[in-house]
Amino acid sequence: MQTLIQTFIDRRGDLLTALWQHLGISLASLVIAMVIAIPLAIWVVRRPRWAEGLLQLTSVLQTIPSLALLGLLIPLVGIGTVPAVIALVIYALLPIFQNTYLGISEIDASIEEAADAFGMSRMRKLFKVELPIALPQIIAGIRTALVLIIGTATLAALIGAGGLGTFIMLGIDRNDTSLLLIGAISSALLAILLSALVRWFQTAKPRHALIVFVGILALLGGGGAYSVYANRVETITIAGKLGSEPEILINMYKQLIEAEDEHVHVTLKPNFGKTTFLFSALKNNQVDIYPEFTGSVLETLGKGNNPAGQTANQTYQLAKQRLAKQEQMTYLKPMQYNNTYALAVTKKFQQEHHLKTISDLTQVESILKPGMTLEFIDRNDGLEGIKKTYGLDVTAKSMEPALRYEAISKGKINLVDAYATDSELRQYHLALLKDNKHFFPTYQGAPLMKTSFANKHPKVVKALNKLAGKISETDMQEMNYEVNVKKQSASTVAHRYLVKHGLLKEGR
Amino acid sequence: MTTAIEFQHVQKDFNGQTVIPDLNLTIDQGELFVLVGTSGSGKTTSLKMINCLEPLTAGKILVNGTDTTTIPVRSLRWQMGYVLQQIALFPTMTVAQNIAVIPEMKGTAKKEINQTIDELLAEVGLDPKEYRDRMPSELSGGEQQRIGILRAIAAQPDIVLMDEPFSALDPISRQQLQDLVLRLHARYHNTIVFVTHDMNEALKLGDRIGVMQHGQLIQVDTPAALAQHPVNDFVRNFFGASRAKNVYDVYVGRVGLIQGYLTEKPSVASGRIQSLDVQATLRTAFTALTDHDYVAVTEENRVVGYLDSQRIVAYLSQHEEVS
Repeated sequence: MQTLIQTFIDRRGDLLTALWQHLGISLASLVIAMVIAIPLAIWVVRRPRWAEGLLQLTSVLQTIPSLALLGLLIPLVGIGTVPAVIALVIYALLPIFQNTYLGISEIDASIEEAADAFGMSRMRKLFKVELPIALPQIIAGIRTALVLIIGTATLAALIGAGGLGTFIMLGIDRNDTSLLLIGAISSALLAILLSALVRWFQTAKPRHALIVFVGILALLGGGGAYSVYANRVETITIAGKLGSEPEILINMYKQLIEAEDEHVHVTLKPNFGKTTFLFSALKNNQVDIYPEFTGSVLETLGKGNNPAGQTANQTYQLAKQRLAKQEQMTYLKPMQYNNTYALAVTKKFQQEHHLKTISDLTQVESILKPGMTLEFIDRNDGLEGIKKTYGLDVTAKSMEPALRYEAISKGKINLVDAYATDSELRQYHLALLKDNKHFFPTYQGAPLMKTSFANKHPKVVKALNKLAGKISETDMQEMNYEVNVKKQSASTVAHRYLVKHGLLKEGR
Repeated sequence: MTTAIEFQHVQKDFNGQTVIPDLNLTIDQGELFVLVGTSGSGKTTSLKMINCLEPLTAGKILVNGTDTTTIPVRSLRWQMGYVLQQIALFPTMTVAQNIAVIPEMKGTAKKEINQTIDELLAEVGLDPKEYRDRMPSELSGGEQQRIGILRAIAAQPDIVLMDEPFSALDPISRQQLQDLVLRLHARYHNTIVFVTHDMNEALKLGDRIGVMQHGQLIQVDTPAALAQHPVNDFVRNFFGASRAKNVYDVYVGRVGLIQGYLTEKPSVASGRIQSLDVQATLRTAFTALTDHDYVAVTEENRVVGYLDSQRIVAYLSQHEEVS
């Protein structure tokens, strides 16, 4: 409880931003869904065949898992707010459409007849008779949609739209229950509060309702206008993958760039998702720069065969060439540390079974209980390759990155995949097993951007090149530890490193 | 007398089946015309064709001399009140808003509408202060249908159509509302077309009655003529079927209607004559005749005619099976 309150106080600024984004995405989706579903429902009331079809269509749309829907939208509209809003609108259609349709079509036939017999026009009948009668049901549909939207909007963080989901994702990733709870509770409270507000709209005097509604619109519109205003100076957007390490790196980028060029403002989008999300964001100009690993470029992004047993420099050169040729992208020089994949066991387990290398694992194959990330299990340069290269026969359980450390420290599993710089290696007293057959490729981090961007921003390139060959594995482990466990902000940690190594002057 | 509504060779088909083959009927201005018949006889359909809720298959209907299909349907409907069996007040509107529906569409000034609402509510015995802002769900069935009638006449239409308006009400409310219709009709002299399946209601309300069967008008006549000279067995039986279950419950008005009244006041001391309302039953009449010689049948405190014991006995022997 104490930590929860402390985290809340530390993070209240971020929380406010996230709440605001969440509210914006949710209300925008709700309004769009209403604008589509209500007129459509009114239109089909007298066309039963259409109504049947549309009801089924909206039901089918709702059964698509939200993650899958977001994934489907990425190639079409990229990432960020737009696909999130589209997905949420799709989910909100059914309850609003269905309730409006049923609300109107279930009105007593005699009341319809009376309205006709008194010579009401179509529109007058709709606004004076049908909508008022159906209103409670329509409002109920809107409330259902709203609660659904606010819950689902937490997934928007996955594709870089921000919102309260950022807290939840971070909480899971950093194994920080407080963050997770703050995200989840805020989202639940927001749903309850807005649902009550919608109910109030139903009973409120029309004038009051209108004032409040316009007020909310003005507030959100004002926020949007402000952000446009604030962005009018040259803004560079730098994103990073989920986790503390990319966040520290992009904070370094920001500080170096802004120190180099005062007319540039850098916006950071930390915890932006996984490799392919970020890569397509870069392609679609939603992001200008992000740090990428040399190994990931070869494995996931570029096309071509990957010769085994490459040195770090060979790997970088190959990645650089491919990106330049295939994607017209510029890949700056990498930092020193190699954040490659590794296999880890607890120190206790290591001593008990005298394990030093991955090869040693074959002797204890029968008692191995591996828990690994889905990405690792699925990759050719991950578990599959290990099994072939080392003749190891194991089946791994797939687990979220942060959860597997928790699991190994509790003895539920005894072998995990890890990154060489993970702070948890230190935190949970884990030992890395030596990759004695040099199976894992090199994973050195370096800034990735479009070549057109690099040509236009020589100062940015110059600033980022200062990091080339800097930061050792222990430096990175230490910094990760400071952010993940000691809860220091990524920006402070980044700043301290830059100053200490003379890359930035004190006082900025 | 000028004609308000005229059916000319009207035919109506439903799904290829002719339900009304050839309907011809003239309703005069200011008349309270009752269409009576069993269910499925086409009476409600005939009514709904007047305000175009049902389209005609063939023939035409003239309203005030004009073919209804040549008038824009909404302005046609604005000059006709309509009262439904289901009452169908708009549930989200107050009593006042319900009554104001048509005047508002016609663009009558708000002040004038409010005045009309108060007058009308007072007229039907509902205190405007108390009832104006009530919702329909807060009213009894009888009160609701009063508002239903007011809604229909608020814009002072020449013609009011009533589709079995009282059949869902309890007997007491029904009688009160029948009286209300007669009173409003006497006051506004509008043309009323009233559909019912209840012969008693038809006899009580109608200036003229049209009896329908299988989509055809079998007989159109005044209540007395209909009672005394039914054209066929259907009319006679339909009329007979409307008699009370118990002889003692027959209204004295019905006896007078069928058997005929003594129109001259009998030359006896007025103490020998007992006044009874048309809706008093024979039970009351028998009691009265034990110590009086004549019964004076009154309607709204006006003497309609006189009956003596011979006429009542004659009625019983001719028209009622005493069981």
